[in-house]
Amino acid sequence: MNDSMSIPHLIMSASTVVQLVMLILVLGSILSWVVIFQRTFVMRRARAAHQTFEERFWSGVDLNELYRETPSEQETQGAEHVFRAGFREFNRLMAKTKSADAILDGVQRSMRVAWSREEERLTLHLVFLATVASASPYIGLFGTVWGIMGSFQALSMAQQATLATVAPWIAEALIATAMGLFAAIPAVIFYNRLSSESDRLLGKYEDFAEEFHSILHRNLQGRSEAGTA
Amino acid sequence: MARRQRGPSRSYDKPVGYGVPTLLAIGLHVLVVVLSLVTLPQRQPADPESTSIVQATLVSTETTTDQAQRAEEARARAAARQAEEEARQEEEARQAEAEEQARAEAERQAAEERAREAEQQQAAREEEARRLQEARQEAEAEAQRRAEEAERQARLREEQEAERQRQQEAAAEAERQRQQEAQQRAEEEARRQREAEEQRQREAEEQRRREEEAQRQREAEEQRRREEEAQRQREAEEQRRREEEAQRQREAEEQRRREEEARRQREAEEQRRREEEARRAAEAASQGLDRAIEGESDAVANARQAQEAANSFINLVRRAVEQAWVIPPGAGGGLAATVQVQLGPSGELFGATITQSSGDSSFDRSALQAVEAAAPFGELRQLPPAAQRDFRQFNLRFTPGDVR
Repeated sequence: MNDSMSIPHLIMSASTVVQLVMLILVLGSILSWVVIFQRTFVMRRARAAHQTFEERFWSGVDLNELYRETPSEQETQGAEHVFRAGFREFNRLMAKTKSADAILDGVQRSMRVAWSREEERLTLHLVFLATVASASPYIGLFGTVWGIMGSFQALSMAQQATLATVAPWIAEALIATAMGLFAAIPAVIFYNRLSSESDRLLGKYEDFAEEFHSILHRNLQGRSEAGTA
Repeated sequence: MARRQRGPSRSYDKPVGYGVPTLLAIGLHVLVVVLSLVTLPQRQPADPESTSIVQATLVSTETTTDQAQRAEEARARAAARQAEEEARQEEEARQAEAEEQARAEAERQAAEERAREAEQQQAAREEEARRLQEARQEAEAEAQRRAEEAERQARLREEQEAERQRQQEAAAEAERQRQQEAQQRAEEEARRQREAEEQRQREAEEQRRREEEAQRQREAEEQRRREEEAQRQREAEEQRRREEEAQRQREAEEQRRREEEARRQREAEEQRRREEEARRAAEAASQGLDRAIEGESDAVANARQAQEAANSFINLVRRAVEQAWVIPPGAGGGLAATVQVQLGPSGELFGATITQSSGDSSFDRSALQAVEAAAPFGELRQLPPAAQRDFRQFNLRFTPGDVR
């Protein structure tokens, strides 16, 4: 009795469709956990990097020096990426035009491009988590319904329907729902947590872009006043 | 300073790989699987009550009631269905059935009279047997008394003889003292006398013995005759009893058949009544076609419901009894017991008796206990009142199926 009702035995004796559903759910669960761990590490690292960069930025260092610190071929992330894109565009445009509005427009555009790249990088694979969270209960339910259908078909052959003849079938079918919930619950929780984290980081990047923009604007104002004076 | 701060920012630049998260995720799943494997076997032996309940259900799964009874029920159901169709199709058939019912009634009365007569006859026979028995006992007692008397007389005679002998001896001795010379003669005479006496005595004794033997022989013969007669009487009685039983069985069978027929008739009549009602309702509601259709379908549904209830009642009872039946462990497959069940008007148990024992008393007891445990058959009240009377008394046959 104990042996036949153990979970591995039930899984092994399930029908092919139910086993397929269970396999899909196990794969979904594993992949969703891979995404959860990977995103958690990425977020933590991005948060730390942002903090370091902001400290450095507001420490009164010369912007040209800050820009030159990292070689241009190296890929940068977060607020640093936004800063480098904006500053590079600023330097290039400064050599070509005197119009402050044109310079600021170009800087803002390039910073927006950098920001959207950062957004894409941070929310990568979060959609997969959302998919697992919403779809796996239904997949598990499908497996359960299929298993119970099979159990009733088998029951119609039996002469007397007792609890003992129905119980293994139903337990086996319910395992699919349990697996679906097992995959879905962490996916929902971590999707909410990670997406709010990425939203907060992106908000910080946006704030930083605005501040940087205002600094450049101030510089240009001062220079144009000096030029006209 | 710039160099020192570039160190950590370098490490942030490196993109996060997928190797470590994959390992972590797989490790987590393996941990969950191991935990489920470890904790489940510990929890399972902790609740043996649930498993025992399931096992009890399994035992009852393996009980099967008699195939013959099922076949009989099926036959009865088929007959009822046929009767219904007949009633629907033919009006004359119903009249014939009414006539048949009257005849059946007459037959039943005749059978009852016959049964009463048979009972009276049996009572008379019993009385006669009792009288015979008493007479036999009396004869035996008298013979014993006579034998005792004879013995007592023999003893008395012997004592008298001894007394006489002693007196004669005393006289002889006195004569011997008085007549010395005539002693020899006297002695010879005495001896002769004694011898004659002895001879006489022996002869008398032999006579007595012969008489006693003759008497004993006569008595033995009489005894044998009496025994033979008793044996013959007993055999005759047994024969009579067997015949009576056969008669009774035949009558019971007839009775059952008649009852079945009556039930069929009743059902047919009910069906007809219902149909008439439905028709009347349809006519009354002929203005509104919808209402008519509704009423008709209602009547048909009611009729079907009543029929199903009557059919399923015996099944319900059988299943309930099966559920409650715990077969004793030693019961083999060949045992079978029939229990007669009598129910009250609301389905309570009035009595359950073994009509046909299986020979195994524990098996019989288990069957009775099963009926008593399943007892209040409240479904009886849901039957139509005509069918209720039929199910107030019925037989249940207990045979264990392939008991492991």
